[in-house]
Amino acid sequence: MLNIQTHQEGNASVVTIQGKVNFEVTAQLRDVIRDTVTTHQPKLMVINLEGVTFIDSSGLGLLVAARNSVDKNNGKLHLCGLPAQVKKTFDQTNLTNYFSIFATEQDALRGA
Amino acid sequence: MSKGIVLVVDDEAQIRDILGFYLKRAGYQVLTAENGNEALEVMGKVQPDLILSDLRMPGMAGDEFCRIIKGGPETRDIYFVLVSAMDGSATKIGGLNLGADDMIAKPFHAQEVMAKVESAFRIIGMQKEIKRQNLELTGFQDRMTTELAIAARLQMGLLPSLPGAAPGFRYTHRYLPAEGIGGDIYSIVPLVDGSLALLIADVSGHGVTAALISAMVKTSFESHVRPGGNPLSWAVGMNRDLARNTLSEQFATAFLARIDPSTGAMQYVVAGHVGPIHIPNGAQGGLHRPHVLAGHGFMLGIEEDLPFEEKSAKFDHGDRLVLFTDGLVEVEREDRKLLGEDGLLRLCAELPQSEEAASDFLVNAAKSFNDPAPFVDDVTLVILDRV
Repeated sequence: MLNIQTHQEGNASVVTIQGKVNFEVTAQLRDVIRDTVTTHQPKLMVINLEGVTFIDSSGLGLLVAARNSVDKNNGKLHLCGLPAQVKKTFDQTNLTNYFSIFATEQDALRGA
Repeated sequence: MSKGIVLVVDDEAQIRDILGFYLKRAGYQVLTAENGNEALEVMGKVQPDLILSDLRMPGMAGDEFCRIIKGGPETRDIYFVLVSAMDGSATKIGGLNLGADDMIAKPFHAQEVMAKVESAFRIIGMQKEIKRQNLELTGFQDRMTTELAIAARLQMGLLPSLPGAAPGFRYTHRYLPAEGIGGDIYSIVPLVDGSLALLIADVSGHGVTAALISAMVKTSFESHVRPGGNPLSWAVGMNRDLARNTLSEQFATAFLARIDPSTGAMQYVVAGHVGPIHIPNGAQGGLHRPHVLAGHGFMLGIEEDLPFEEKSAKFDHGDRLVLFTDGLVEVEREDRKLLGEDGLLRLCAELPQSEEAASDFLVNAAKSFNDPAPFVDDVTLVILDRV
């Protein structure tokens, strides 16, 4: 089961994802991210992955696409709360060096 | 052209005549019968769209006739209206329970009957339209299934043919797409200088889109290896091809290698792909110490100009390489335990000697890890032995 929630923190949009991120749910997640970008045009988007139990290549693709769409709006994408399993996938695919990754949501919002 | 065919069944000639007159005037073709038996006889020649049948008739009565019509696979879709006095022996509910589509109470006004007939024909028209659309959809689905089957055969044709042999090497594969057609691909190309170029890749997503991109990945790989070069230059070229030609969500994990059989030197690039398993002396079967060819790197196609890293290793005579896509190890048991790369590594410690037997062993072991659930992702396994 996938659970997605969004909220605003000042000029930043925070998307919290919980559950298994795979091929079956990417459409749902893509819609949420697109709507958030269109509605709020955030200067900073934070995606909190703390509750993600599994992410496959479709999920990674979605995060890359999210970065591209936030970039296009001159915004920044910060990821936070990567669980060990997800961190491993990020390391294997070098995405650790592609995204700005923070330990906590607070850190990601501060950008520090 | 009549608006449709109505069969009027009544033992009273007067009623048949009145209904027949109004129906013909409204543009319908009319058939008549005195009872159920005669009606069935008439229907042996012409199938009506609508039946208006009296309930009480000598010979076969209306209820029995209705049951026969609604029980026959050829006739049950004919709209059936029972005409009867509602005097206790027949109720509307009773008639509908027989399977009749509607009832008209006797005595009736001809206009009431005509209104019912018109509304029945509207429903008949809609039913015919639904049937036609259904047929069209089924036809469409059949064509899609056929097309997919052809595409799947074509995709199988993109794989190296078996039994696989290149100077100094033997190999085999198992290719199990999750949806008939999938995003996994591999390629083995002997180069002019005698070395071997090797690719295994897994395109994000499933189905037709992934399959199209997988064909692109293979073409890109083969065009970059022909002039020579090394896995690093191949990865950079393929990354550029994919970044330019696919959407931002689409990319491929890949492992690329070049093995020189004269020296046993292997160079490789891991592009976000699960590291293959190298088994020194593994081609002889038996107990060995497998290890993962370590490395990490970006997937191909995220963005142009991302850096890749090339590594080197030894691949000696009698060594075995087990290449796979993550679908093989991402099998999850009910207790949520994954087979994982560690699990596969353990299985690789003691493999049968022949590539074929070793492939079957690994696929079956991965499958039985979550028996009887099928693999959810595309699965590709390649076993390459240096002779």
